[in-house]
Amino acid sequence: MLSRAKEGARPARLDRDRGLVEAARRDPACFDALYRKYLAQVYSYAYYELRDHHAAEDATERVFMQALAGLPRFEERVDDFIASRSVMTESGPDSAEISTFRIWLFRIAHNVVANERRRDRRRPVTPLEEAAELSAPDDVAETAAAREAFSAAWDAVARLPQDRRRAIILRFVDEMSTAEIGAILGRSEGAVRVLLHRALRSVADDLRGHLS
Amino acid sequence: MLSGGTRDARRTERYLDELMAADQRRVSEFPVDTDMDPAIRLAARELRADLVRVHPSFRFEEALAARLAAGAMRLRAGLRVEIAEADGVPATPGTMSAFRSHSTTAQGGAVTAIPPDTAPAQPQAVASASALRRLPEMAARQSRPLIVGGVGMASAAISIGAVYVAWRHSHQASGRMGRAARTAHGRAAGSSRRRTGVINGILGVVS
Repeated sequence: MLSRAKEGARPARLDRDRGLVEAARRDPACFDALYRKYLAQVYSYAYYELRDHHAAEDATERVFMQALAGLPRFEERVDDFIASRSVMTESGPDSAEISTFRIWLFRIAHNVVANERRRDRRRPVTPLEEAAELSAPDDVAETAAAREAFSAAWDAVARLPQDRRRAIILRFVDEMSTAEIGAILGRSEGAVRVLLHRALRSVADDLRGHLS
Repeated sequence: MLSGGTRDARRTERYLDELMAADQRRVSEFPVDTDMDPAIRLAARELRADLVRVHPSFRFEEALAARLAAGAMRLRAGLRVEIAEADGVPATPGTMSAFRSHSTTAQGGAVTAIPPDTAPAQPQAVASASALRRLPEMAARQSRPLIVGGVGMASAAISIGAVYVAWRHSHQASGRMGRAARTAHGRAAGSSRRRTGVINGILGVVS
């Protein structure tokens, strides 16, 4: 099965974005289809990482502009990807869902967001919503209620170490497979599996503490 | 031979796959590995419910689409795409609406994205974007909420208001109060109609 994949017969159906990518390479105006398809996913990733709509919009814009500019240099490496996942290649359906364009796009997003976070650390700002809450001293009851309702799980995720948090966001928000997350974070599938497991363990402990 | 940690991690992965697949099938119950830590199962369910996908405002979406189109034109002309540093498109507050995921494949956890242009949203609740922190209370367990822009609604409200003003000018009140008001302001029916015609012409309204 694996040898057949190497013969080049399979990649055509492995990257489901291949048609759109080729169209965008022929005519950059066709990039719009890829943009519309992945906008919510990229924006969500940026929003959960940066926790601010404005910063997420800036990051999203940079991601797609870089993707548009870099598309001619984008190399689909489906064969290598499959070779590194021989067990899943045998299973078929999962492999058919792998999108290397998506992985490439999220690698850009990963870098852009990391840069943004580094910049934020140097120049910390308070998101507007939080600022509005803080500047409403006469609205104590409502503020308290909002904070009470603040999701404990969401809080627990924010406290996770960087890699675990990113793995959780990619898994739950962007609904990516372990293999895709590994390709984006530059980790093996096994490492991502352990990362997710430990992240969930931390969240579970946090929730238990919150309940008690 | 797998170590305990690796076995647990695989068990967790299988559970997450099942959880997502169940969500696609819109069922809440599914067989689970009883050896799995219930606390991790609970945490996974919490995160599945709380970590919702967020969509930027439609205004932002269209503005960025226009920038990308301009970039595409430059590429076609053999020029480089200009990547703005930090001059983002003006941000607009959004509203939140819940929808169910339209992903169809959950095998192995690799699921399809929800293209905003192809997957029709099924709004179930609308609230201010600042209510994001209250998502668990607002969103149904099995739904996957989405945040969408609020500018479209504001624009629609302004348009409706303009149409109403135009209609109100073209349909003068026929009651005694209306006649009295017209007399008091010395408005002749003819001049009013001409003025209404001009307004309608500007707004493109047909009464």
